[in-house]
Amino acid sequence: MLSKSSARLFFIGGTTFFSLTFLALTWDTVSQVPERSNAHEMNESVTRGHDIWNDNNCMGCHTILGEGAYYAPELTKVVERRGEPWIRVFLKDPQAMFPGRRKMVQYNFTEDQITDLIEFFKWIQNIDANGFPPEPDLAPKVQNAMVSDPSVAGATSGTAHVMPEMMKTICISCHAVGGKGGKVGPALDDVAQRYSRTELDRWLADPQGVKPGTGMPDLKLSDEVRRELVEYLLNLNGGGNQ
Amino acid sequence: MKYQSQKVAYLFFATSLLLLCLQLVYGFILGFAHMGFDVLHDWIPFNTARATHTNLLVVWLLCGFMGSAYWVIPDESERELVSVKWAVIQWASFVVVGVIALAGFHMNWWEGRKFLEIPRPLDYFVVINVLLFLGLIGATAWKGKRFTTTGITLIIGLVSAALLYLPGMIHFDNQVFDSYFRWWVVHLWVEGVWELIMGALLSYLLIKLTGVDREVIEKWLYVIVGITFLSGILGTGHHYYYIGAPEYWLMIGGIFSALEPLAFLGMAIFAMAMSRKGGRKHPNRIALRWTLGCAVLSFVGAGFLGMAHTLPQVNLWTHGTLVTAMHGHLAFWGAYAMIVFAMIMYVMPQMTGRNLYNGWLPEWAFLLSNIGMIAMTGAFAVAGIAQVYLERKVGMDFLDVQESIEVHFLGLVLAAVLFTAGILMFVWNFVQFGIPQNDVLTSDDEEGVYAEATA
Repeated sequence: MLSKSSARLFFIGGTTFFSLTFLALTWDTVSQVPERSNAHEMNESVTRGHDIWNDNNCMGCHTILGEGAYYAPELTKVVERRGEPWIRVFLKDPQAMFPGRRKMVQYNFTEDQITDLIEFFKWIQNIDANGFPPEPDLAPKVQNAMVSDPSVAGATSGTAHVMPEMMKTICISCHAVGGKGGKVGPALDDVAQRYSRTELDRWLADPQGVKPGTGMPDLKLSDEVRRELVEYLLNLNGGGNQ
Repeated sequence: MKYQSQKVAYLFFATSLLLLCLQLVYGFILGFAHMGFDVLHDWIPFNTARATHTNLLVVWLLCGFMGSAYWVIPDESERELVSVKWAVIQWASFVVVGVIALAGFHMNWWEGRKFLEIPRPLDYFVVINVLLFLGLIGATAWKGKRFTTTGITLIIGLVSAALLYLPGMIHFDNQVFDSYFRWWVVHLWVEGVWELIMGALLSYLLIKLTGVDREVIEKWLYVIVGITFLSGILGTGHHYYYIGAPEYWLMIGGIFSALEPLAFLGMAIFAMAMSRKGGRKHPNRIALRWTLGCAVLSFVGAGFLGMAHTLPQVNLWTHGTLVTAMHGHLAFWGAYAMIVFAMIMYVMPQMTGRNLYNGWLPEWAFLLSNIGMIAMTGAFAVAGIAQVYLERKVGMDFLDVQESIEVHFLGLVLAAVLFTAGILMFVWNFVQFGIPQNDVLTSDDEEGVYAEATA
């Protein structure tokens, strides 16, 4: 039968052995991490972004590399997912993008701070994280299982104009075109039948001026981008009637 | 109570329970926010409530451990504490640092590092405070008449916990290093040295409550803490899968975390076997129930549910989802909250001379809090698994998924009401015991207490 002294030996011996193994592995990890995390790309902007991330306890709601709280989205690949322009608009007024839904604190970041945060996210997304976050592996199966809707397919193929960059990255997160996109604002397929060029242009330039209290954010679009968007919207020929 | 100075434990236990009640308040804020009722958002946003909730947990558990140490160490080393005055000063400064830290969280003064949100300037005060605590405990043991395995294990656990706090104070610009060494604190605390503390308290309680020979219990204590470190140290690897550390952690973390439940299973079997083996009946059945409950639920919560999502193939999908919250709640409750409760229930009758361990109140406190916590774990599990499938597997938008699982947080809050009812009963029972009395200098070690029970 096991004696107390051999039990003690097991405890001391095992603990020492595994502690030393752990230290050796840590040594190796520390030597590999700079390359895996592209440490040479960590410029001052990335470091400042990291500090902003820490100082405001962003991890208290979000996760990054899967670590943090589970109240707000995982942000490791946020630049890839949303694009830089979207993040810029969103951070200026988080609640405007998702009116009536889960809230984020309005931090009133300056342009420079937002740039730093984006640089931090761009650095984070290139870390070799052994395949995290994974691609949704059931997504293709779910899409195959759904009966395809010819009208939706028609709407996209019938669109004469290519979707402007602004539309792809920003507008689509709230509005749907051809059945794809967000549900916060109304679908835009038949917007040409309801509004004129001037109306659309005024609306995009100053949503609050046209309809005070609207959830549509003032995106501070340049004249050129606004023209491009209006042109695109007027050419959407609404639903299935192509 | 054999030594007058053991009474200082009362201050720590009372503070501990007060902070626990506050933790529950913040838990409700979080639960309601997840349900869509974030009415306090402008004053207490989610990240504030969350940091407060988890840090209150750490502080009240540490407070409970310190109280337990102030009780156990004089008893094990057979002498009075070296200084009651300094113990009271240590208690007061601990409370002050804690209150400043928690108030700071409400004013955006913190570090965004999960579980270690306390800002660095305050870290130094924590270190001074803990050194004072360890000094008092260490000196008492050093000057004591006897060195027991239980006492030494408790001290090793406390000293290692203090040492492991230090890697968490180093500043790294690289998020990967920041995360890597943050787990040295968090993981090696809860799945390493805190288990030493828990194991030591468990064996102390089993020696007192079952009457089994000290030599037998302490032998198994060595075996169990041996398995804890054998699996737990390299088990840290399960936090290193997807944070930018090398790929070999997937294998190492996977294998050694799969062994981690063994330590908890060992503790459960050990506690059950000892309580059966001890033929004599200690009258304080409720303290024994908390002790055994702790051993069993720590296996379920920390061991089994931890293992359920610790394999790299599973963790790839569950990493950073509510599944983690599911495991976290039952693990902390089973392993650490319940051992503190067991200590309180064992100590209070001796400290106050009142045998309030019979009757419906302590019974229902035990039942309701445990049923409530198990139900909460179930609600988290359903919400977490739904989140994993909808968001991670199917690729639905985060907010859409969160809105579709709101209903499970209604379940969570209802379960939390049960849990809270149990906790409030426990606290009321604690209040009924009253404050420690001077004249109750007896010892549980003596045959008398068993004779009284069998009579």
